[in-house]
Amino acid sequence: MTSVATMARALLYLRVTSLIGRITSRLKRLKQPKYLAGAVVGAAYVYFSFLRRAHGTYGGHRPGAPPPGIPADALAFFPDLVALILLIVLVANWAMPRYASLAFSEAEIAFLFPAPVNRRMLVHYRLLGSQLGIAITALVFTVIFRRGQAVGGNAWFHIIGWWLILATLNLHFTGTAFVYSKLLNRSLTTRWRTVTTIAAVGVVICAVVLWAWSAMSPPTHGDLTSLGAFMSYIAAQLHAGPLPWLLAIPKLVIAPYFASSVSGFLLAVVPAVAVLVAHYYWVVHTEVSFEDASIAKAEKRAARVRAAQQGDWRGQQAVRKARRPPFRLRDGGRPELAFLWKNLLSSSAFFRPVTPIILVAVILVGSEWLVRQPALEPFRVTTTLMFGIFLGVLVLIGPMIARQDLRSDLPNSDILKSYPLPGWRIVLGELLTPVSILVMLIWVSLLAEFLLLPSDRLLWLTPSLRAGVALGLAVLAPPFVAIQLLVANAATVLFPAWALSSGDRTERGIEVMGQRMIFIVGQLLITIIAAVPAAIAAAVIFLLGQWLFGLVIAGALAVAAVCALLTLEAWLGVRWLGRRFEHFDLSAELRP
Amino acid sequence: MIEIRGLSKAYGNFTAVRDLSFRVGSGEVLGLVGPNGAGKTTTLRTMAGIIPPTAGEVLIGGYDIVREPIEAKRQLAFIPDEPRLFDYLTVRQHLAFVARLYGIADHETIARPLLDELEIADRVDSLPAELSRGMKQKLAIACGLLHSPTVMIFDEPLTGLDPLGIRRMKDSILRRARAGAAVVLSSHLLHLLEEVCSHVLILKKGERIAYDTMAQVHAQFSNGDPSASLEDVFIRATGGSES
Repeated sequence: MTSVATMARALLYLRVTSLIGRITSRLKRLKQPKYLAGAVVGAAYVYFSFLRRAHGTYGGHRPGAPPPGIPADALAFFPDLVALILLIVLVANWAMPRYASLAFSEAEIAFLFPAPVNRRMLVHYRLLGSQLGIAITALVFTVIFRRGQAVGGNAWFHIIGWWLILATLNLHFTGTAFVYSKLLNRSLTTRWRTVTTIAAVGVVICAVVLWAWSAMSPPTHGDLTSLGAFMSYIAAQLHAGPLPWLLAIPKLVIAPYFASSVSGFLLAVVPAVAVLVAHYYWVVHTEVSFEDASIAKAEKRAARVRAAQQGDWRGQQAVRKARRPPFRLRDGGRPELAFLWKNLLSSSAFFRPVTPIILVAVILVGSEWLVRQPALEPFRVTTTLMFGIFLGVLVLIGPMIARQDLRSDLPNSDILKSYPLPGWRIVLGELLTPVSILVMLIWVSLLAEFLLLPSDRLLWLTPSLRAGVALGLAVLAPPFVAIQLLVANAATVLFPAWALSSGDRTERGIEVMGQRMIFIVGQLLITIIAAVPAAIAAAVIFLLGQWLFGLVIAGALAVAAVCALLTLEAWLGVRWLGRRFEHFDLSAELRP
Repeated sequence: MIEIRGLSKAYGNFTAVRDLSFRVGSGEVLGLVGPNGAGKTTTLRTMAGIIPPTAGEVLIGGYDIVREPIEAKRQLAFIPDEPRLFDYLTVRQHLAFVARLYGIADHETIARPLLDELEIADRVDSLPAELSRGMKQKLAIACGLLHSPTVMIFDEPLTGLDPLGIRRMKDSILRRARAGAAVVLSSHLLHLLEEVCSHVLILKKGERIAYDTMAQVHAQFSNGDPSASLEDVFIRATGGSES
C-alpha cells in the first residue's frame, strides 16, 4: 500500500472513530439524570415546536400551495428569488478579503501538521469533516422550513437540496479564501499582478452594475398597490439586464431543492453536482498555504472555548488590556469590597462609580427638555416605552446576563476557598458587582420613567402616586435583584455540572438544550416562590394599613415590609450559600 | 506547625486518601511524592481547606482546618499546580486584591522585594494573558507569600519555571524554611526534591508507603546502596508502577 493510501486510511479512521466516539459519549452521558432529563425536555421541545407542525399543513392548505397571503403565481419566481439571495451571499463573501484557514482543532494541528500528510490530504480531511455539520444543518433547515411544503417536492429532495447548497457554499467560501491568500501573498503574486487582477475585476463589476442600472427600472406607484403587483415587478426585474446570467449558476445549485417530481429532481441534481464537483476541483487544486491562519484560528477558537467554559463570554473578544481600577482599594476594610473591586474590573468599562452620576444628569436634562417640546411627543412616548421595556428586561433577564459573580469565578473556587474568609463573605462579595450594576440601571430607568410618563394622558397617575410607586420600586430593587442572583449562584454551587454544561455555549445537543431550558425555568420558579411570602405580607399590610392609616402610609408600610422580608431572605440565603460553598468541591461534583 | 492525623478522603466509593498521618515542624520541608493518582493533590487540597476531609484531622499552626478554618488559613499559603489567576487583574491588582482579603497593611512595601525576588517586578501592569506560564506561576507564588505565611503548601511549584527560576524557587523555599516556615511540596522532579526536602512522604494509591527524614527513607529503600538517588528509592518503594 502506498504511503498516501496509508495516510488517507489513517485520516479516514480518525474522522470515523472521532464521530463514533462523539455519538457514543453523547449516548453514554444519557445515563446521567441531568442529561436524560435534558434530552427528554429538549426532544419534547423540538417535537412540539417543529416536527408536529412539519407533519401538518399550513392551516390546512395542500402541499405545493403558497402560504396564506402569498399569491399562487408568486411561487413561480421563488427559485429566482432564492438564487438572488445566494448570489448576494456569494458577492458578500468576495467582498471580505482574508487569508485561507481551515477549521482544525488544536489536537488535529498537533498530530496532523507534523505528520507526513500532504496538503491536499489535509484539505480532503477537513472537507470530509465539515460534511457532518452540513448534513445536520440540512436536516434542521428541512424541519424548520417544514419540508418546503410551499414549493412542493418531498422531504428527501429538500434534505439533499439543502446539502448541495450548503456544501457548495462551504467549498466556495474556502476557495475564495484560497484565492485571496494567493493574491495577498507577495511571494506568490507580484504587486503588479495583484493590482491588475483587482483592476480587471473592478472593471467587470462596474460594467455589470452599469448594465443592471440601464436595464432595470424602479417600481412605479402601480407596482406598489398590492402584493401581487409588487411580486410581478420583482419577477420582471429578475429577468432584466445581467441578472439572468448572474443567476444562472446559483439557479443550478438550488434547482434540486425546488424539484417537484423524481424525474425533475434527477434532471436537476446532475448540474448541481457538476457545480459542486467544479468547486471541489477548484479548492483541491489551488496551491496555497493555509497552515499559519489555521493555527491562529484554532488557537483563537480554543481560547474562546476555554473562556466560554468559564462562563466568560467577554473572553471571546480578541484583545484584553489592563484597565484602571474602578476605585482605589485600600489595604484595610471589608474584604467583600475587594470582590466588588475585582469584579467591576472584569465588567464593561461603562460600569464605574461615575456612570450613574452621568446617566442621572443626562436623564434629568434630557427629560426636562423633551417634556418642553410638544412637537416631540411621539418621541417622548417611544422613549418612555423603551425605558419600560428595558426595565422589564433588567428585572427578568438581567440576573442571567450579569454574571460577574460566583458563576464566572467557579474555576477559581480553589483559590477563593484558600482565603481566610467565611463562605458567606465570599458569596456576599461576589454578589455585590451584579447587584450594583443591575440596581443602578434599574434606578436610572425608573427615574426616566418617572420623568417622562405623560401625566396629561394618565390623569389617575398623579405626581405623588408616580413618585411613590417609583420610590417603592427603587427601594425593593436591591433585595429582589439580590434574591434572583442568589438563586442563580446557588444553582451553580448546587449543580455545578449543570451550570457548566448549561452555560457552555460550545456544548451542543438536544440534551444540553433541554438542560438550559430546565435550568432557566427552575431559577425563575424559585425566585417567584421566594417572592411569595413578601407579596402576601405586602397585601395584608397594605389592606390593613389602608383601613387604619390611609393609602400613602399603607403603601409605605407595605413597601417597608416587603423590603424587610426580601432582605431577610437574601441575608439568610447568603449565609446558607456561604456554608454550601465552604463544603463545595468542584472536582468531586464533576466526577462522572 | 502541620499535623495530619488519620486523614481520609473519599469520593463516593473511591478512596483517594486513606488514614494518612504525618507532621511537618517549623523549618522542615516535606516532599510529597508518589505515582500519578497516588492522592498527592487531594492531600494538599484537604490540608489547604479547599476540600473537607472525610475523616481525620488537619491542624495548621495548631488550628483545625475544619473547625477553625479562618485562623488556620491565615497561617498558610497554597500554591496550586496550575496557576489560578483572575483574567482581568494585572499583577499589581492581584496583589492589591489579596492584600485586602488578608488585611495586610501597606502591602506595597512587602510586595516590592517579593516581586524583585521572583523577577516579575517589571511586569506589574501586565494581565495574566500577557504572561508566560512561568511568570503566571511566579505571580501565584507572590500572591501566596504576600501575607508571610508560616505554613506553605506547594503543588508542583517548579512546573513551567526555567532552570534559573527553578534554582531561585528552591533557594526561596529553603530560605523561608530556615526562617521557620513549615513547607510541604509535591513534585515529580525527584532530584530537585532531594536537594530541598528534609523529610519525604511517599504515597501510593492513597496510602503512606514511607515517611521519615530523607536519610531514613533513603536507608530504608536503598538496599544499602549509598549512591542510590531519591528516584531509585521512589522506584523501589512504589514497586515501579502506579497500581
